[in-house]
Amino acid sequence: MTDVFLNRRFFFLALALALLAVFPYLHTFPFFDSFIDSYRTFQGMRFALWLIILMGLNILTGYSGQISLGHGAFIAVGAYIAAILMSDWSMPVFAAVLIAGLLTGVIGFLIGAPALRLSGPYLAIATLAMVIVLPQILKHDSIDQWTGGVMGISLSLPHVPGSLKDSATDDQWLYYLCMVPAVIMTAMAWSLTRSRIGRALVALRDSEIGAEQMGVNVSLYKMTAFGLSALYAGTGGALYVFTLGYLGPAEFDILLSLTMLVMIVLGGLGSITGGIFAAVIMTMRIDITDWISGAIPAGDRLGIDTTRGALFGLLLILSIIFTPRGVAGSIAHMKEAHLGAKIQDLVSRLLGRSRPKKDSV
Amino acid sequence: MEEFIQQVATGLSTGSLYAILALALVLIYRSTGIVNFAQGEMAMFTTFIAWSFINWELHFWIAFFLTLLVAGIFGALIEIVVIRPVERGPILNPVIITLGMFTMLNSIALRIWQGQPKSFPSPAVFDGAPLKLGPAVISRPNIGVFCMSILIMIAIYLLFNRTKVGLAMRAAAQNRIASQLVGIRVGRMLALGWALSAMVGAAAGMLLAPTIFLSPSMMMGVLLFAFAAAVLGGLDSPVGAIVGGLVLGVVQNLAGTYIDSKIDITVAFLVIIAVLLVRPKGLFGKQTMERV
Repeated sequence: MTDVFLNRRFFFLALALALLAVFPYLHTFPFFDSFIDSYRTFQGMRFALWLIILMGLNILTGYSGQISLGHGAFIAVGAYIAAILMSDWSMPVFAAVLIAGLLTGVIGFLIGAPALRLSGPYLAIATLAMVIVLPQILKHDSIDQWTGGVMGISLSLPHVPGSLKDSATDDQWLYYLCMVPAVIMTAMAWSLTRSRIGRALVALRDSEIGAEQMGVNVSLYKMTAFGLSALYAGTGGALYVFTLGYLGPAEFDILLSLTMLVMIVLGGLGSITGGIFAAVIMTMRIDITDWISGAIPAGDRLGIDTTRGALFGLLLILSIIFTPRGVAGSIAHMKEAHLGAKIQDLVSRLLGRSRPKKDSV
Repeated sequence: MEEFIQQVATGLSTGSLYAILALALVLIYRSTGIVNFAQGEMAMFTTFIAWSFINWELHFWIAFFLTLLVAGIFGALIEIVVIRPVERGPILNPVIITLGMFTMLNSIALRIWQGQPKSFPSPAVFDGAPLKLGPAVISRPNIGVFCMSILIMIAIYLLFNRTKVGLAMRAAAQNRIASQLVGIRVGRMLALGWALSAMVGAAAGMLLAPTIFLSPSMMMGVLLFAFAAAVLGGLDSPVGAIVGGLVLGVVQNLAGTYIDSKIDITVAFLVIIAVLLVRPKGLFGKQTMERV
């Protein structure tokens, strides 16, 4: 038992959790205030949202191998349900988020049904249809008394409860409101992927027929994968509402859905650390391109936007070419390659000694 | 009844716009197995090049064929420089590369040519009053697009089914190792597939630009519907691309007229999904069995 507590992984995990816990207050400490400002608290909140959403997409695409190009639609559904529950029904924040997540999960499970017959690009376009169609449905007369039609919904953001007013600002409160579910849901994803369900999903991805032969209920698990990832996207969407003052039908467009898919590939498909890297890149993508483009004179608004876009595309292409299995995949690869052993080998050769004996096969 | 016929005719016109870009998507899918998200932006970019040629006072058709040449080289270069390094990796990677190119080309075009739509001349053949076919009226550029997509479809059919190169391209797409063993230069075939599809895309762009105007965002909407059309028809079938495009255009128009103009796209996509549920590989796609 003591082993577990002493091992390195546990140490890093504890460090990361501690950092996340104090992050919104970091900019008030000396030393840290030189490079962190209160804007980073808002970014931390965005990170928490993307962590939830991309973790869900990674379960669907990375673990079960189903491609979704319309994941933005699930985020939108979650966001709308939460916004309607909070503004029309004045429901408490926690209940609204929970209900929005669960309802979106049920919808996702049902939408998984058509996916049973489709695969590859055909499934991709069917899911893309969701995000193309959704704005039309949200704007439609028959439901615009709830969705607000083209005008969308104006929201009042939740404030710090009175008892905590002295110790936290609204932004810091919202940060914890998003980060706590994010950590819990990441832990859930971690244990899920190591469970019977997770192994069934991976079997499904690697060979559908093979999985069926092994007794995996293919239909049920495919729909479960859709349901789970919609649950994550819906919860993320419900929390997303807190970063906006307004929710409109065009908020979650096709480009966003495509970007999310790109992010989980960049982070590393089919791994929890991959999902975490994906969320980091998603949150920081504009900072990264701006940091690099600092040297390029951009000039006006158009210049800035196009420089960002072109750089983003270029970085995307380069990172896929050089890290084809994403950040997480590259790290795992480096570990597997036994760099230490290789260096030792090289050193002993340079010194003219005989090579260390390898295990015979 | 007359209104119905006119709506069908308008639908066919819109549909032929989808069909011609869908052909480019089918061509690349058939010859490399990749769904190319940058197809629309590649077409847009090459159309801007054509526009520059025309601004240099070149004759329309000279500019047209010169652009096709540029597009072909451009397509082959893309395959060699950015697609080839990821071909052996995970299947999603080439798709992500095309998404990266999508963003890059769009931003670069916006930087060079700005966002305002520009008018693009249509060839002199298409000048004149709209044609009357019975009770329906169709504009000449639309008929031009339609005829062109039929021509391209026939050319693709002949290429893949009647020539040795086409056969080699099909083989390379289907089984790389076996193709190499029988002496097919697989790399060249894939580059050729990209070149041809970039050329079809360029032709599509130049034919669409007079109708939908030339701008960096001109292809965004069309591309999504072209995807839907290609999938509806079957991603490996040129005939399917045309039928898919036309059906999509007609359904969208009829739904807008007779059901509710606010949910025309919704109805069109519901039809696509309903079709896919019955035929998971599209109307004309080859239904495959998986080997264990």
